[in-house]
Amino acid sequence: MNARLQARLIALMVLAPAAAGLVCFLSVWGLVWHLDRHRPISEILPHAALRVGVDPAHPPFAFYLGDALVGLDIDLANALAEALGVPAQFVLLGYDGLYDALKIGQVDLLIAGIAIDPARTGLARYSAPYLNAGLMLISSESGGVSSMHDLPGKRLALEFGSEANAEARRWLRRVLPFTILPYAQPNHALDAVRLGMADAALVDSITARLYLRAHPDWVHRLTPVTVLPIAIASHADHARLGAALDRALESLFRDGTIDRLLDKWL
Amino acid sequence: MKSFHRLRQQILPAVLWTARFILGFALLNAFQPAPPRAPLMPPQTVDTTKPQMCVHTRLIDEVDEWKIQRSLMMVREMGADTIAEFFPWAYIESQRGVYNWAQSDRIIRHAANQGLKVIARMGFVPNWARGDQRDVFTTLNTLPPEAYGAFAAFTAAFAARYAGTVDHLIIWNEPNLAFEWGYQQVDPAGYARLLEVVYAPVHRANPNIMILAAGLAPTLEPPGSPHGLNDLLYLDALYQAGAAPYFDGLAVHTYGFTHPPDESPAAERLNFRRVELLRAIMRQHGDDSPIYITETGWNDHPRWVNAVTPAQRVAYTLDAFRYAEREWDDVRKMCVWMFRLPAATFSHPDYFTLVGVDFQPKPIYTALQAYAAGRMTEQTLWLPPP
Repeated sequence: MNARLQARLIALMVLAPAAAGLVCFLSVWGLVWHLDRHRPISEILPHAALRVGVDPAHPPFAFYLGDALVGLDIDLANALAEALGVPAQFVLLGYDGLYDALKIGQVDLLIAGIAIDPARTGLARYSAPYLNAGLMLISSESGGVSSMHDLPGKRLALEFGSEANAEARRWLRRVLPFTILPYAQPNHALDAVRLGMADAALVDSITARLYLRAHPDWVHRLTPVTVLPIAIASHADHARLGAALDRALESLFRDGTIDRLLDKWL
Repeated sequence: MKSFHRLRQQILPAVLWTARFILGFALLNAFQPAPPRAPLMPPQTVDTTKPQMCVHTRLIDEVDEWKIQRSLMMVREMGADTIAEFFPWAYIESQRGVYNWAQSDRIIRHAANQGLKVIARMGFVPNWARGDQRDVFTTLNTLPPEAYGAFAAFTAAFAARYAGTVDHLIIWNEPNLAFEWGYQQVDPAGYARLLEVVYAPVHRANPNIMILAAGLAPTLEPPGSPHGLNDLLYLDALYQAGAAPYFDGLAVHTYGFTHPPDESPAAERLNFRRVELLRAIMRQHGDDSPIYITETGWNDHPRWVNAVTPAQRVAYTLDAFRYAEREWDDVRKMCVWMFRLPAATFSHPDYFTLVGVDFQPKPIYTALQAYAAGRMTEQTLWLPPP
């Protein structure tokens, strides 16, 4: 037997079982994945309900209207529970107890207007964000302000002492000077732009959306400038629940439910 | 066999080079840059016209020493001469009898260097002191009575080590909340016993020390509630349990929530002047010892129901200091909750701070600094509504 043939034989003896093993592994993995994806919800949620931790102290996410618990997060939880085919069960928590409740299994999910926190990813698995609560620049349509680079020489209205105030001070270190007009409330800053007393306002997106609902005739330009992703948290160890949640949330995005809920509350 | 020999000749150098590469990579990793150092400055003093001003810090979880130093420098520059800080027993004596003072030494060393005094809050129980946990649910706040002596020994060691910079110790935190009492029914008599066990050894360790009874959580929880007990009822029960001889001053937590600082106090209302109701209970029991407000302030989260606007927060906080200076001569210190967080929480706790995680001062920091320097003007910091 010559050397080349011998080498080919050895290669075949090594590669053939490896390839066969790979095919077997992929087949089994695919089967498990398929079965897992179609696992009955009762196996994923053994309490036969979606136990949702909410913080009722943060309107418009969750709050009491009289005796009724209402808000964006409440509607979202109900929509998700319906998509999963189980009832929603609300567990009222303060911020301090949210992640502890998730950790000890008191709740399946947290839907509490929470921002994705990189420091919590060891415990929590976050869904795709359903809202960006970051800062936005608003100007009149003709104002032409859509970034900090458009601001030099212009007037920027904002709420005194807010995140927007801190951000504007950072911008002042990066671009040529502009004038900051601090107001006691964010709505005053938006009024200033609408009435032509400022060129742009910097406010958080929830304030902006609520203001624009109240002033539907105002022709404006709205530009997101920072990102604060608001998402749903499930336990990092409950991968099946997380995957089921992702699928349900995706279907709510696709059929327009999320947009409808955002329009309802913001 | 020839081909095997040739194969070995080709593979062997590759294996050797791979090994060299891995070794080189490991060596390069070993030569990491040293963490930034924080050498002490020449000893500093605090320049202030408002000796009541104090701020609660959160330094014990701060990893970088330079951030501890930077925080304390900014506290001094703000004009506060005292900080309140938590020193968890579980961090320092995680093994019985073996003390790790590294982090507390760092904090105290830099505080002393900046000319600051420290009010130290003691708490958090190490695993070994929580007793038999096989059938019992315990937390870091579970302190069985048989461990009171061990807690007292640790507290005395702490008091002796930091005498001069730390002359005020707060024993425990908000024991009127079930959460802070190991999720057990709150127990004023049990807490009175804890104060009694701690008092003598700590005074022996540092004769100048002042033991402060823990600040109670402002709450309206009724008797029998699984969550806690109304702070006024708890304080009264504490005196009835005979705690008075075992503390030299009372720590108080008083938050403004959404109310202005001059709003009248009432038993069924939580506001800044609730401290006056607590003081009335002290006087009823013949106790005229001083009060240390170790947590106070307002929150300016844009959406939390207990928050105010940033403009209101500045105005209310300054008015609170003016009110305390004018009306409360028995209030020795008023510590604003809180200076800075080591990392963002992305929720309302971020909006209690005076400076950002990146050390950017918020307008309230600047306003307090001007107030402490005595150069507060009546100039409004924001514009009138358009």
